[in-house]
Amino acid sequence: MKETAIHVENLVKEFGSGESLVRVIEGATFSVYKGELVALVAPSGAGKTTLLLMIGCVLEPNSGTIRLGEETVYDNGWTIRDTRRIRRSKIGFIFQQPHLIPFLNILENVTLIPLTDGVPAKTAERKAMELLEYFEISDKARSEPAQLSGGQQQRAAIARALANNPQIILADEPTAALDQKRSVDVVKLLKKIAQEQNVAVIMVTHDEAMLPLVDRILTIRDKKVVEKPLSSEGAIV
Amino acid sequence: MISLARKDVAHSLGKFIVTAMGVGMLLGIVLIMIGVYRGMIIDAQVLLDDVGADLWIVQQETLGPFAEASRLHEDLRESVQSMEGVAAAEALTFQNLQLPAKPLPVRVVAVGYDPLGAISPLNPDRLIAGRPLRRQHYEMVLSDKTGYRVGDVIPLQRHRYTVVGVTHGTVSTGGDPLVFVSLKDAQELQFAYSNERIRQDRARGIQAHDTHLVNAIVAKIRPGFDRASVADQIAQSLHKNVYTDTRERTILTKNLIKMASKQIGMFTVILVIVSTIIIALIIYTMTLEKLKIIAIMKLIGLPNRVIMRMIMEETLWLGLLAFAFALLFAHGIYDKFPKRVVLQNPDALRLFVVVFVASVLASLTGIHKVIKAKPAEALGG
Repeated sequence: MKETAIHVENLVKEFGSGESLVRVIEGATFSVYKGELVALVAPSGAGKTTLLLMIGCVLEPNSGTIRLGEETVYDNGWTIRDTRRIRRSKIGFIFQQPHLIPFLNILENVTLIPLTDGVPAKTAERKAMELLEYFEISDKARSEPAQLSGGQQQRAAIARALANNPQIILADEPTAALDQKRSVDVVKLLKKIAQEQNVAVIMVTHDEAMLPLVDRILTIRDKKVVEKPLSSEGAIV
Repeated sequence: MISLARKDVAHSLGKFIVTAMGVGMLLGIVLIMIGVYRGMIIDAQVLLDDVGADLWIVQQETLGPFAEASRLHEDLRESVQSMEGVAAAEALTFQNLQLPAKPLPVRVVAVGYDPLGAISPLNPDRLIAGRPLRRQHYEMVLSDKTGYRVGDVIPLQRHRYTVVGVTHGTVSTGGDPLVFVSLKDAQELQFAYSNERIRQDRARGIQAHDTHLVNAIVAKIRPGFDRASVADQIAQSLHKNVYTDTRERTILTKNLIKMASKQIGMFTVILVIVSTIIIALIIYTMTLEKLKIIAIMKLIGLPNRVIMRMIMEETLWLGLLAFAFALLFAHGIYDKFPKRVVLQNPDALRLFVVVFVASVLASLTGIHKVIKAKPAEALGG
């Protein structure tokens, strides 16, 4: 029995008003389960990032429902006052660029959110070191981000996203700045994380070469989220 | 919890220090300006302190020699001396002089007094070389700021004056170095006309010219007598304006220094405002540079208070470091100024409070930017 990590129902998002009103998402309904890596693919401007931001409690929808795990965070309005608390406790973000905080070393980058959330320093550091070892960059724990290669930085950014044991990882084109080999490595890593940490990963990507590596593909068609089936070889049908 | 401000400052320490130094120099100038004002007040009272008179008798309907021209006949001294309650009375003159090149001409204020009189404006404690005046003619005691030494001979008008003593810290109410000459020499310097002028006066039928004038008579009161009562008595009997020492000080501070203090106060306020604006702009720019990072911090869930605290702490550190540099800068250069600059701890403390408040206000520009930053801006390239 799959455990639902994200459930979105009849989600609507509009921008502007009056004649300039644009409806980007209209009645999006879908679920993402723990332990799976889902790719979100669609042409530019289709609303991928908008959808990601709504799930991430960054952008307020106009209507609909968002449930993260057991908690309904949006039901035609935020049901929680502190959306950042939800982001800290339930969601990990990965960006196109690693976007590590340049004035903190790698260990501090990874422990920042747990420490903010009140996790004792020793516990946070131990967990961070485990993650850095997992991503094979524990020797860089005391280094500044600028001293790491692009691939190492991206792995550190993924470690940061996992530091607070999130249920969900939202990755906005995490391979856009990487070459093919590193892109494959990162996507494989995300899949491994999804399975081993029992986390739901939604990855926005334009890179079709990555699609055979994911469990499911969601796309936005006519402002609605639909699932694209994968062929037996992993290619999109 | 990690101190984000400390980490950020440490990350760009050189830039932070140079910025603080720049602001610190500006704040240092504020301290110097306040010091100039303090020095002005002290300078204004040096002569009053050294004369040590209880009463100042000046020309009727004038405020006295420090505020406006005052001329009295020298023999008024005897009249004052004979008044009940007066222990001693002496005549004084004050005039601006330009001493010859040493290497540049020096503007001084010459004080004329009777070297053998009971009241002397020359405080012997201020003598650093030579001796006080002993003769009624052609001797001079002057401030070390003039550059002259004991034994130098200075030609002034018709005569040559020998420097017999050098003082330190003797300045006029305006901060110019003081020169002491005998009353007789001072009267000649101030009131005697040149031969050409005398010839021209004679041609116009003006026969007499009186040099037995002074600018003020100073008096000391016998113990047991009330200054104000004696002052009233002299004013009524001799038809002159008589000021107590306290009143004379008030005239100096209220009438003369008030305008200068307003001027300096204006400069100080403007400099503080400019410093605040500069700190605000620096913090604003520093925040702008970090906008993407701030958006990421917000997106990954860092509360506003943590980010705002970072901005606030950085601003306060900048302010405090700038203040420290201001102290170093001001104490490093204050004695290089030609006039007295007095740096006082209470003034520094007041500036510290102002800098603290200014820094808090300046941080609001950065905090405003933090609040406005959209976490969504973290997404994308």
